[in-house]
Amino acid sequence: MHTPCSEANVNRKRRSRAEEASDEVIVDEIVDQVNVDANITALLPRGATLDISDFPSFDASRVRADAVSRLFDRQDYTYLPLKADHASRPIWINPETGHFILEAFSPIAEQAQDFLTAIAEPVSRPSHLHEYRLTPYSLYAAVSVGLETNDIIDVLNRLSKVPVPESVAKLIQECTLSYGKVKLVLKQNRYYVESQHPSILQRLLKDSVIRGARVLDGGEAIVPSRAPTADGLRIPGTARKPGSEGETDMFNAIIELDKDDDVGEDEGESVHSFEIVASQVENVRKRCNQLDLPMLEEYDFRNDTFNPDLEIDLKPITVIRPYQEKSLSKMFGNGRARSGIIVLPCGAGKTLVGITAACTVKKSTLVLCTSSVSVMQWKQQFLMWSNIKESRIAVFTADQKERFAGDAGIVISTYSMVANTRQRSYESAKMMEFIKSREWGFLLLDEVHVVPAQMFRQVISTVATHAKLGLTATLVREDEKIDDLNFLIGPKLYEANWMDLAHQGHIATVQCAEVWCEMSPEFYSEYLRERSRKRALLYAMNPRKVQACQYLIKYHEERGDKIIVFSDNVYALREYALLLKKPYIYGGTGQTERMNILHQFQHNPALNTMFLSKVGDTSIDLPEATCLIQISSHYGSRRQEAQRLGRILRAKRRNDEGFNAFFYSLVSKDTQEMFYSTKRQQFLIDQGYAFKVITHLEGMDQMEDLVYRDKASRLDYLHTVLMASEKDAILEDVGGDAEDTLSSAAARRTTGSLQSLSGGDNMAFLEMERSSRARKDTQHPLFKKYKKRHDA
Amino acid sequence: MPTANDEQSHFRTAIDEYLETLPAQTCQRLYQSPASCLAVFRLLPDLAKQLVMSLLYVPTDVSMADMAARCFQECASQFNEGLQKLLRLHIIEQIGDATAAKLRMNAVFGRELRNALTGGGEHGAFGVPCDVLDKHPVDEAFLDQHATQQWEAILHFMIGTAVTKRPGRAALNLLRRSGLMASSATGDADSVSMAITNKGFQFLLQDVNTQMWAFLLQYLDMVQDLGMDLVEVLNFLFQLGTLELGKDYSVEPLTETQRRMLDDLQDYGLCYRRKKGSRRFYPTRLAITLASGNSASLDSEQNENGYIILETNYRVYAYTDSPLQIAVLSLFCTMRSRFQNMVCGAITRESIRSALANGITSDQIVTYLTTHAHPLMRQKIPVLPLTVIDQIRLWEMEKNRLQTTQGFLYQQFARQQDFDTVLQYAQELGVVVWYHPAKRMLVVTDDGHVQVRAYVQRRKNKSQPTAHGAS
Repeated sequence: MHTPCSEANVNRKRRSRAEEASDEVIVDEIVDQVNVDANITALLPRGATLDISDFPSFDASRVRADAVSRLFDRQDYTYLPLKADHASRPIWINPETGHFILEAFSPIAEQAQDFLTAIAEPVSRPSHLHEYRLTPYSLYAAVSVGLETNDIIDVLNRLSKVPVPESVAKLIQECTLSYGKVKLVLKQNRYYVESQHPSILQRLLKDSVIRGARVLDGGEAIVPSRAPTADGLRIPGTARKPGSEGETDMFNAIIELDKDDDVGEDEGESVHSFEIVASQVENVRKRCNQLDLPMLEEYDFRNDTFNPDLEIDLKPITVIRPYQEKSLSKMFGNGRARSGIIVLPCGAGKTLVGITAACTVKKSTLVLCTSSVSVMQWKQQFLMWSNIKESRIAVFTADQKERFAGDAGIVISTYSMVANTRQRSYESAKMMEFIKSREWGFLLLDEVHVVPAQMFRQVISTVATHAKLGLTATLVREDEKIDDLNFLIGPKLYEANWMDLAHQGHIATVQCAEVWCEMSPEFYSEYLRERSRKRALLYAMNPRKVQACQYLIKYHEERGDKIIVFSDNVYALREYALLLKKPYIYGGTGQTERMNILHQFQHNPALNTMFLSKVGDTSIDLPEATCLIQISSHYGSRRQEAQRLGRILRAKRRNDEGFNAFFYSLVSKDTQEMFYSTKRQQFLIDQGYAFKVITHLEGMDQMEDLVYRDKASRLDYLHTVLMASEKDAILEDVGGDAEDTLSSAAARRTTGSLQSLSGGDNMAFLEMERSSRARKDTQHPLFKKYKKRHDA
Repeated sequence: MPTANDEQSHFRTAIDEYLETLPAQTCQRLYQSPASCLAVFRLLPDLAKQLVMSLLYVPTDVSMADMAARCFQECASQFNEGLQKLLRLHIIEQIGDATAAKLRMNAVFGRELRNALTGGGEHGAFGVPCDVLDKHPVDEAFLDQHATQQWEAILHFMIGTAVTKRPGRAALNLLRRSGLMASSATGDADSVSMAITNKGFQFLLQDVNTQMWAFLLQYLDMVQDLGMDLVEVLNFLFQLGTLELGKDYSVEPLTETQRRMLDDLQDYGLCYRRKKGSRRFYPTRLAITLASGNSASLDSEQNENGYIILETNYRVYAYTDSPLQIAVLSLFCTMRSRFQNMVCGAITRESIRSALANGITSDQIVTYLTTHAHPLMRQKIPVLPLTVIDQIRLWEMEKNRLQTTQGFLYQQFARQQDFDTVLQYAQELGVVVWYHPAKRMLVVTDDGHVQVRAYVQRRKNKSQPTAHGAS
């Protein structure tokens, strides 16, 4: 008997022992959403909820009525006077939406761009005109890297063709006046509330909660000390000190005056602080948010004598690239470690940035990533770039639970291992205790965008850590959960411009194309008839698409490219791969086979094409790949598109003369796929990529041994596809993705006759990729344990 | 709408083509004015000009073979083209048969062109400057502004963004006659209810010179109905082209027709008079460049510099403050925001579809974007991002996915057997467009209809199928 009900039971049972088996799947408990939201809201300061529309700027009387004004409605800003020398200033400011439009061809565009990335979110960055948007979060980020309210408005005014509109100035003031004024600093393992303005501290101390948390050692209430500087701090791998030149030369041309003025005072500038009890930190932090004075976290790692130093440095041969240096200088700008997120495209060396940061902090480091594969990759990268002893690196996954030798070291694990709240095995419970019991100097979070907010809360509350660094390629999500990350981890410290990196040769230049495959008539009529998820299967399996795929593989193999074909739909993946006789990897592929295929793909010149399911979206590092074909994808996910593109950005051959990597997206015409496809591309288009539409592949029909050329074989094929069960139409669920996990956690309702439900339809129940967990679980844990014991 | 939808995107814009349609006598009279001869000469293609110059001072007929021999062999086709043009314009006559053809220049044309070149002949052929000083002199900038204002008022009126005064009655009339606008059923000439037509939308995307000529050619068509002399009108138009910008000219030597014209031309922004009945008039830049063949015109500055930036993300940024340019852009862009010197919009599927629905073609959009592209865009080849252009074309193709085939529907066959026989017969003829055995319906092409109908008639004693015309 196998009913939805018993299935749920099975699931629950499986889940209880899931932890043992899973290292890839992220907790997908159904959490009380309301509760979580409430918690998060409590963490957000008032400023985060502000919007530019709160500051009305529209004044109907000022609009110069004119023949075409009505086309723009409220968006006619002709009332903003142009400055006399507007031609030499590069930006316009939109008073209603807080958008900046930047002339990227202006002589001072580069400085302006640096400045705008610091204070605003990049919206689109094609070749000539860029757009940025001012948000409370971006301003929070600006403040946390040390920009001040007046600096921001001044510089903006200097760059702008129009005077800074009142609404924008107000938003900047509102958001920045309270942000960043108070810092929570960990020095010698004592928590201090620090501020440059004694009056603010006085104000805080008037609050009973905060007063209660203060450590009274009989001395002065507020202790002044010297402001931190980056003097003497060197980020390994760079020639310069952060903060001194690294940061200033970005704004040099623009805010030079300010800096000059400041230099004199800087030396003597002082900060004031009082100490609070460690156990009260969380309360104080919450209270500060309520008081609208959110605290920035900084870790004065150089003065931390309590936590032992870790012996780690970059190898002398390791050199980091200018943009990596720039991102790190934002993090260590004042000689302390700020928490935050660094956004770099895939293939631009995020790992190295993380490792360099760890080498700068030189304290015990916890690295969290999304899968055990990337755990191994991180370990290998640490050994490759830095001089750390292998014994100091520990790996904590379902299979491996080691500790590092000595009193400081690095632990690399996955989010699910650490955030797991369910019962653990003895070993992992011990390991968790070890992680919980100690203080971590540095928490490195890989691929932060994929992890749901509640999991972060879990991680952050279980692990005592001083500085957090999130790394990601795409800070976009279809559910707007990204914003919360800013307050859970820290502001976005740096975001690279894809096109710039491509021009400088750090990442490959990619030709993107969308290939429109007409649905063959038979498939289309079935498509119109179907209502369910099978539609997705039909457009994925469209014979014209198979042909296009075959053609493109042949074409690019002849060119000498290494090709990865992506499909989210495992059924399609397998069918395509078997038909075209290529190896494939999906969630269910065993580790050995997986490694074998990857190895062959990298080194065997006879194997140039490989099919990958969603498991290959992130973290699989294949510098050999130069061409990518996408046959089925996760609906309209912009992030997946960007992640997949990332697979070819690090192409080894990228610096060859005239080298282009290719990214094809095969889309069945006149289906939902077209809609999703447009949506998916949006992020990359905003980054300046252009998708060329190919409606006809030249010479495809003349190709020999083209599959499904005649109608009979197509009908036969259609029949097979229709026979495929509903389950096959479901996209592979590889977790690690809140957008998916949340939806798949919902109950599934299926209809069917009692007979069919009870298996009377002559159908055998095969558990096929219900989830990757199930797949891993081919061996009963009992046997596994037995085997383990036996082996030992 | 009673528009010339079938002659879509076709504008008669070239005055030389218009002239070719004139009868010989009209030409003969036209050529009596040296200014007209000079203007016509300027309109000729290079080789034709060469030909005219070589024949101009030759009193006798010249053999065609001799003339042809002056040309490189590879340019023979261009030479022929030029020659044909001259023949059509009645500037040169061909005498004798094909084997020993001789060329002779039109005597009047020759004489007056010589006069134009040497400054001989009648005084005042190139306009008579006023000898009395104007008490209210105007400068070139003013004239440019006047021209822009007048012409744009017409365009604004077309686009429906007119907040300024309505164009004059003559202009309105012309708009209707040319099919650029259509008045709604109830409206008369003065009523407000005029709507732009598909042709009008296309018209808006052309450059000013093309627009002006398209407009004036309509005017030429109309003058005869108004009882004006076509030759005098043409003479005056050509004369305008030879005048000097910023100088005032006397109205005195003009004919009655030409004085009437002056009022209309003032409406279009071709010339300026302080008030009606003024003794002097000023030609504007628009008028002067009209016949010169160069396309330098009103928005000459923008034409040279361009103002539109089209990005790969479909955003359009236009450096302009001209309401007209903005209005034209809004024909195929969704406008987003506007600053004093820049507007920002986007090309979307909806905006393109609405443009297509207005009869604008993707080619016209692309041409408009290309000719007005910002210099930054011009640094690259291709000027516009290919992906966007492709997409615009694809959106257009999207509209044309259904093909219509004319045909005749046969239905209500009483028996399956009847249907099958007719179907078989039609299939043998190869004229079946579509059939549905279960419904016993059959569509045959127009061509096959006669035969199939006859066949059905012959079988009529057995069954009573009815034939309906359908497409």
